[in-house]
Amino acid sequence: MKRVLGLLLVLLLASLGVVSAAPAGRVNVLCSPNLVWCDAIKVEFPKATGIQLDYVRLSSGEAFARMRAEAANPSFDVWFAGTGDPHLEAVELGITEFYRPKSWNDLRPEFREAVGGKYIPLYAGILGWAQNERLLKEKGAPVPTTWKDLTNPRYKGLIAMPNPNTSGTGYTMLATIVQIYGEKAGFDLLKLIHRNIAQYTRGGADPGPLTGRGEIGIGVTFLHDAIDNILKGFPITYGSARDGTGFEIGGLSLVKGARNRDNAITFIEWALSPDGQRVAAELGQSYQIPSNSKTPVPRVAPRFQDFVMIKYDFLKYGKASVRDALIKKWSAEVFALPR
Amino acid sequence: MVGGSLRAAEVAAPRAAFPVDRTVVVWGGVTLLAGLLLPWTREQRELWSFSGGATGAALAARHLGVAASLLLAAAAIVAAVLPLPRFRRGQVVLALSGLGAVITFLSIWFQKVPLGLGALIVFLGYLTLAGSGISLSGLVHADPFTGATILWVAGFVVVFILLPLGEVLLASVFVRGRFTLDVLLETVRSPGFLLLNNPATPANELAQAGRIGLAGGILLAVLAVIRARRARPVLLWGVGGGAGVFVLAALYYGFGAVRNSVLLALVVGAGSTALGFLFALLGERSRLPTRRLLGPLSILPIITPPFVLGLAMIYLFGRRGFVTHQLLGLDTTIFFGPVGVAVAQILAFTPIAYLVLQGVVQALDMAMEEAAETLGASRWHVLRTVTWPLTRPGIANAFLLVAIESLADFGNPFVVGGGQPFLATQVFDAFSGRFNPNEAAVYGVTLLVMTLVVFFLQQRWIGRRGYVTVTGKPGAGALRPLPTTLDYVGTGVFLFWVVLTVALYGSVFSGSVTVLWGFDYTLTLEHLRGLRGQGMQVFQTSIMLSAVAAFPSMILGFLIAYLVTRVEFPGRSALEFGSMLSFAVPGTVMGIGYVLAFNDGPLLLTGTSIIITMAFVFRNMPVGIRAGVAAIHQLDRAIEEASTMLGAGTATTMRRIIMPLIVPALLSGLVFAFVRAVTAVSQVIFLVTPRHNLATTQILSYVQYGTLGRGAALASLLILAMAAVVLVLYLLSHRLSPRVVRQAAA
Repeated sequence: MKRVLGLLLVLLLASLGVVSAAPAGRVNVLCSPNLVWCDAIKVEFPKATGIQLDYVRLSSGEAFARMRAEAANPSFDVWFAGTGDPHLEAVELGITEFYRPKSWNDLRPEFREAVGGKYIPLYAGILGWAQNERLLKEKGAPVPTTWKDLTNPRYKGLIAMPNPNTSGTGYTMLATIVQIYGEKAGFDLLKLIHRNIAQYTRGGADPGPLTGRGEIGIGVTFLHDAIDNILKGFPITYGSARDGTGFEIGGLSLVKGARNRDNAITFIEWALSPDGQRVAAELGQSYQIPSNSKTPVPRVAPRFQDFVMIKYDFLKYGKASVRDALIKKWSAEVFALPR
Repeated sequence: MVGGSLRAAEVAAPRAAFPVDRTVVVWGGVTLLAGLLLPWTREQRELWSFSGGATGAALAARHLGVAASLLLAAAAIVAAVLPLPRFRRGQVVLALSGLGAVITFLSIWFQKVPLGLGALIVFLGYLTLAGSGISLSGLVHADPFTGATILWVAGFVVVFILLPLGEVLLASVFVRGRFTLDVLLETVRSPGFLLLNNPATPANELAQAGRIGLAGGILLAVLAVIRARRARPVLLWGVGGGAGVFVLAALYYGFGAVRNSVLLALVVGAGSTALGFLFALLGERSRLPTRRLLGPLSILPIITPPFVLGLAMIYLFGRRGFVTHQLLGLDTTIFFGPVGVAVAQILAFTPIAYLVLQGVVQALDMAMEEAAETLGASRWHVLRTVTWPLTRPGIANAFLLVAIESLADFGNPFVVGGGQPFLATQVFDAFSGRFNPNEAAVYGVTLLVMTLVVFFLQQRWIGRRGYVTVTGKPGAGALRPLPTTLDYVGTGVFLFWVVLTVALYGSVFSGSVTVLWGFDYTLTLEHLRGLRGQGMQVFQTSIMLSAVAAFPSMILGFLIAYLVTRVEFPGRSALEFGSMLSFAVPGTVMGIGYVLAFNDGPLLLTGTSIIITMAFVFRNMPVGIRAGVAAIHQLDRAIEEASTMLGAGTATTMRRIIMPLIVPALLSGLVFAFVRAVTAVSQVIFLVTPRHNLATTQILSYVQYGTLGRGAALASLLILAMAAVVLVLYLLSHRLSPRVVRQAAA
């Protein structure tokens, strides 16, 4: 028994030694995009700078909650990617601070204007859906072209959309429909869509794989996520609403009081450089429009000019009060209805 | 530490009238030195960080509390050297160290900055001294080691179980430091919580439930009249049954997390218990060769992160699932949502019911059944009139345990729930999705109240009886075989279960080596390669932190088991209750509590590996307690008394007599603590940081983002590693136990 315990203790100490032997320079990243992208920057950033990168992946809503909870004592240095609204809210609450990167003037001006110069734009993504045309055909349902089409009773049990309570994508859809149709007509539309919903997913990218596997016919998601699933080999296509669609401007923020502030700034500069941004499409399976105008736009990425874009009001709909009110109303008046 | 110094003190006890008390001298010295040389506060998160300006020596001149604390430690040493009678010295030491502990606590508390290693050791040192004082003064009939252990254990239980729970309770009614019921009321009234009559629909669901309840009550009353022909059962069945039917109907027609969680717990409790009972009967009494498979199969789900099977189920039974679509040609989405969660949970929790009921069935007195058969009863009749009534308490016990697990389960509702609200996931959504810790606390408190009610029922009503049957030895009498039909049908069900389990595991493994899980079955190593950076790091962290946590879980569990079974002291039942509490508390609630309690102030621990380790230790300690209690109950007190007579202290007796006798129990406790920590999700999901990320939360992220191949690869790796560890320790404990028996006999 003594020998056994002794052996276990030695193993334990050995493993402690292995794990704690790490390089000195570190940066702690709160990572909100596609996990593969997070995995890729974990490998590529140290290659470029020699600084070790550790990350936790949380969706943008979760990430914001986590940072707010730890505001007095942040364990993260930098918040990488994720829908813009919480980035905006974080700046306004003083959880993150605005840092003006050296490459500021290289960033696409329309992105900078859309976010009012309040946080660093990292990329833009267009809202749309993934569609499984084979399943739709089997069910005798047409391929949808507008938000209104989604109310067609033929789609009953065939649509998945992210829950706005947990997903920035879901909120973007809610806010887009409200901006197009106004609050009253917009909510009536959402109630009709609700009858067709098979599943409200937790994350914004979940509907893509569901559509791919044919669990559902239409999955509301950002187009870059749909494209990721197409490239993975799922037999799906993507589409977007012709009555207008919204978009997101993904953010990159420096955490206020970051313990590795210098390394965080190095990371931000790298993440905005063409070399850093190329990682997304080449290694990270992420196909958004990169914010640096010098970064080549991935060949497969969707372009603004191909879709009917609305003039999405980020400053209004990114505000916490507006957002909370809309989500609360949706939860009470739409989500609770029987399907 | 404690043991060594004590043994020295006792073995060398001199014969002088008032000998120097070495224990007190040593611990007084430790307290004084740590207080002088180590920092009282820290600027960084890590407890090990050292800053010269914050040592007691540097602080004492400025800080009255620190100075007083150090002086009291010195005074305790003096008291140990002065020629005083034993009980008087005990009183003096107790008074000094009690005062010291209070002053240390207050000066830590009011500094409002994270406490350093020095302050921690000083506080624990005073606890040890106070324990010695209690023992010397004769307040509690125990030696100094036991006295100190009681205080240490109580301290840990208060800090790591009661404090976080208290924080959760407070957070549900205190918003930004002010008392308010707004959040509580708003949450309880929200449709996500519970909606019995949906205002958005034309129908009145509550009234409909009322009608069904009335009809059910009348029907049950009529049935009762026909069977019993007496007034009391009619009333009981009519009113009680009617109310029960009404509640069920109201829940069925209702909406929201409470409804989903309660219905789920009932269904899963019933399903798992029925299957577990069937398997237990088969395992003990089947005449078919498949009987041997039951034992190994029962541990399988334990070494699996709970939600992994749920995920695999979608691939087998989804709309395009391998079984439902490709083999059966069906088109169904029923497995997304509550039905899928129920099936996944039944798969995961049946082993718990099986393990409980196996003991119950083993403990049945065969002689009774033999007597019934001699009197001419058929095997079915015996099963119905003898076996069933005898196992009923055990069955209720299994039902309640499974119900607690089902209520607390987070992974399955999260992965397979199809977006439906459940209490455990609502805690997470409120905290992580809606940024609202107060709302999360309300859901947490609701969940806590429900699990605690079930836990109380289980403990008060049947918990004790359950223990005895589990530890009892099988009675005499020949094995009574099952009725043949039941044997074959039951074995059929079991084989179906085996096939299902194999298919689910196969599906996970296949997902890790094929291009697109459930879609493109071309073989690839790409997912495994994709684990090289992050995947391997979280795997290592998981294994390491779990291994580090397993030892304290086991040792602490064993110490508590010893205290509650062998030592009489005031507050014993409170200690037992407090330490078992963490078993009944859902992981998500504990997780929130840890974030709320350890995020700032003197106890700042978030962002360190210590807090994750502590979450593991206190979550899994009850496993150690149960194993320890069961094992110690089987030891004859006389052995320990003999050891004490020969002059050994409690520490020596524990180390040299008790521990070797219960090595198998300790080892299995160790394995369980380790395995449960590696597969844990809910209690750590709020605690992981970039440097200390864990495999389960990473798998959940992969799954959530649809990177299923990598998720499956990491899950497979984890399952294989667990299987290897369990196998090695299983063989080890088998090799160790015969020798122990020989030693005991000799």
